[in-house]
Amino acid sequence: MLPLSIKDDEYKPAKLNLLVKISGWFRSILADKTSRNLFFFLCLNLSFAFVELLYGIWSNSLGLISDSFHMFFDCTALLAGLAASVISRWRSNDSFSYGYVRAEVLAGFVNGLFLIFTAFFIFSEGVERALEPPDVHHERLLPVSIAGLLVNLVGIFVFQHGGHGHSHGGEGHGHSHSLFNGSVGHGHSHGGHGHSHGGHEHGHEHGHGHGHSHEEPHCHDEHSYSPAKGSSKQILQGVFLHIVADTLGSIGVIISAILMQKYDLMIADPICSMLISILIGVSVVPLLRESIGILMQRTPPSLDHALPECYQRVQQLQGVYNLQEPHFWTLCTDVYIGTLKLLVAPDADARWILSQTHNIFTQAGVRQLYVQIDIAAM
Amino acid sequence: MACEPNRARLLCMLSLTFGFFIVEVVVSRITASLAMLSDSFHMLSDVIALVVALVAVRFAEKTQATNKNTFGWIRAEVMGALVNAVFLTALCFTIILEAIERFTEPHEIEKPRVVIGVGAAGLLVNLLGLCLFHGHAGGGHGHSHGGHSHGNKKNKRGKMSKFEKPPGSSSGEETNNLVGNHSTSPNGDSLEVQMNGNAPYEELENAHDSASQLNMRGVFLHVLGDALGSVIVVVNALIFTFVWQPCEAGAPCVNPCTNSHCTDHQHVNHTLLGLMEGDEPNATDPGGLGLTRAGPCWVLYLDPTLCIIMVCILLYTTYPLLKESALILLQTVPKQIDMHRLNERLRGVDGVLAVHELHIWQLAGSRIIATAHIKCHDPATYMDVAKRIKGFFHDEGIHATTIQPEFVTVNSESRGSLCELSCRTQCAPKLCCGAVDAGKQTAAGAEGRVAAATAAVPATTLEVISESQENANKDQMPNVQVVVRSEPQVMVTREVESSL
Repeated sequence: MLPLSIKDDEYKPAKLNLLVKISGWFRSILADKTSRNLFFFLCLNLSFAFVELLYGIWSNSLGLISDSFHMFFDCTALLAGLAASVISRWRSNDSFSYGYVRAEVLAGFVNGLFLIFTAFFIFSEGVERALEPPDVHHERLLPVSIAGLLVNLVGIFVFQHGGHGHSHGGEGHGHSHSLFNGSVGHGHSHGGHGHSHGGHEHGHEHGHGHGHSHEEPHCHDEHSYSPAKGSSKQILQGVFLHIVADTLGSIGVIISAILMQKYDLMIADPICSMLISILIGVSVVPLLRESIGILMQRTPPSLDHALPECYQRVQQLQGVYNLQEPHFWTLCTDVYIGTLKLLVAPDADARWILSQTHNIFTQAGVRQLYVQIDIAAM
Repeated sequence: MACEPNRARLLCMLSLTFGFFIVEVVVSRITASLAMLSDSFHMLSDVIALVVALVAVRFAEKTQATNKNTFGWIRAEVMGALVNAVFLTALCFTIILEAIERFTEPHEIEKPRVVIGVGAAGLLVNLLGLCLFHGHAGGGHGHSHGGHSHGNKKNKRGKMSKFEKPPGSSSGEETNNLVGNHSTSPNGDSLEVQMNGNAPYEELENAHDSASQLNMRGVFLHVLGDALGSVIVVVNALIFTFVWQPCEAGAPCVNPCTNSHCTDHQHVNHTLLGLMEGDEPNATDPGGLGLTRAGPCWVLYLDPTLCIIMVCILLYTTYPLLKESALILLQTVPKQIDMHRLNERLRGVDGVLAVHELHIWQLAGSRIIATAHIKCHDPATYMDVAKRIKGFFHDEGIHATTIQPEFVTVNSESRGSLCELSCRTQCAPKLCCGAVDAGKQTAAGAEGRVAAATAAVPATTLEVISESQENANKDQMPNVQVVVRSEPQVMVTREVESSL
């Protein structure tokens, strides 16, 4: 079709379409508070990583360069969380009949996996360094770790209403590890792996996924109509917890650096790394357990006690012979979906039974219920 | 059972890999080679991947429903595949970072012959693993089911399930219940079951296979990555041995390839290099300086380059697995099912007035689950309609369905597009999806709900509601006040006929 005028809507050069799409994404990100905060924090992290990279190139310090690469790597997890918070707001369509709300659970799970992977590699690196301690150049890393601490404090301030107690100090990610990054002449192929960095907070994203899972991922808020708010509350909580942990890790790195400078305890660094990686691993377990439960279509834990009672009430309805095959599962936080089959007498009022059943389960919190009525023949 | 060979293979590979890991650690301590130690950690990650797959297989064998996991554990396979894919991706990123570091600071391989030996052994182990898993994973591109796995896998599982419910009539066969025998006694049910009896066994294995194929693909990819890594190690060490001319100990030598950060050597290097500039580049003994130059520099860059190529290959092969398992976990409609067309055909079934809240998702492998609300005329004809619907779904390959009937209260021009039993309006944010039609639906649904209300509801509301039920189809937004009731207490009265 030929365009009738230059402003004809049907004719759009491809490039403009891409721009439109990207600007659409930006608008969507900026629309919601959580994703906005996440986005800015991601930008902050990224810029910090860039600065570190440039500084490392300029001062020719391999440790700083590798550290900045690791920070970029960590930013991907934060990016995943951001993407999830945007994706989960998309509308349902033919392929995704439930919409995309599960993306958050999946993102939390994947972030937890990345965290475990990171912990594993920090541990391995700690072991390697313990067996063969390299030279340490810590004079350059102290200012970097202090800068990282400052970045984290900003993060704490921004994501303030997040948290309640969950294992802190776990997420140091081997900050102490980073102290060895400045080392040289160390024929170590894994140098600067896992999480050893110039002692600053990377892996916010880790914490993000990590905290993300602290409770069940919230899809919707209790108190408002906008579906996004509840989820943002959840993500914020996660990020906050993670930043707190990162801050503590930073402080730990600084202390460890001081220890090494004053008392020359070289072994402190690998031991710290190993401890920190164990802590990370342990703290990720609740997150993983929860997301795995949701992804495995497990009965929602919060309904564990309410459901048998509901079954009894339903079975006491007039005309109901039996309740079979109940399946209740979590789509995302607070959204429970259930199916069950009722065997009813031929003369029972099916409509009444249906609505009663729905009411019973609505009180329990299951709002999407599919009740199949099987009429027994006498 | 079909899963036994899987488990056996996994265990075999696991023990081999673990043994090799121990060997590598020991060798690395003996030769004090750090590269070997880091390689051993790669092996350890392989072990972990195998453990994950094994755990997934073990769990998925428990297909019986439990109290907490009413669907059984069959989804564990998909999770195992996802975990493996994510680990692989993370590993790839790590390798890229390492490779970049190596680019900026290349260093020679120490003790290349040992590396060749161990690398070759590792390659053997990995090739063995590839053979073990290849036959299984090769067939499975995607889920290899045409969506028509007949027989009722869930059926069989339902039979095996120990429910806490009283045995009741049909021990949980869905299709069988309605399609055959709702009218007969339990004996009839078991008869029907036995008729299908042979089929479920094979189908069960099929389902299991296609689900576990995803898992095995994850393992296969992991082993493939490891094999490629071993190949690279061996190739690199070989080239290094034959092409590289190292600095001999004892002779003054300069290594132009590694720019070491040692400040004390820097001066010397620069000076020497400067002196050597005038001579031929590749001479081993330039001029009369008596210096040897360490071998061609490109050798040192071979390792990272090969690594990056390997990473590209791995990422390319891992991405489909990642995408597939992620899509299943996101409750996507399985790809072989065209939702739109299915919806239309469903609406064409005799006796079906409307279909809404149709959801189809994949539990794992070829187990597909569907739920829907079907609007029909009245309860008397309902069972026939239900039979037809179940048959329809069976033809599509969906055997676990839950159909909720909704009966129109007003005949004639009721278009029946509104859900009669949806939640109240304030539930809109808590429903799973479709905020758009939630508004309309909840309005209509609110009345339907309230229509069964107790005497607490004022009479005026009832009138308004019944009236609006008739009007609802004409898409008017009636004066249905969203009856913000407190939690409904005892619902005693029956549903109000709208023939008020």
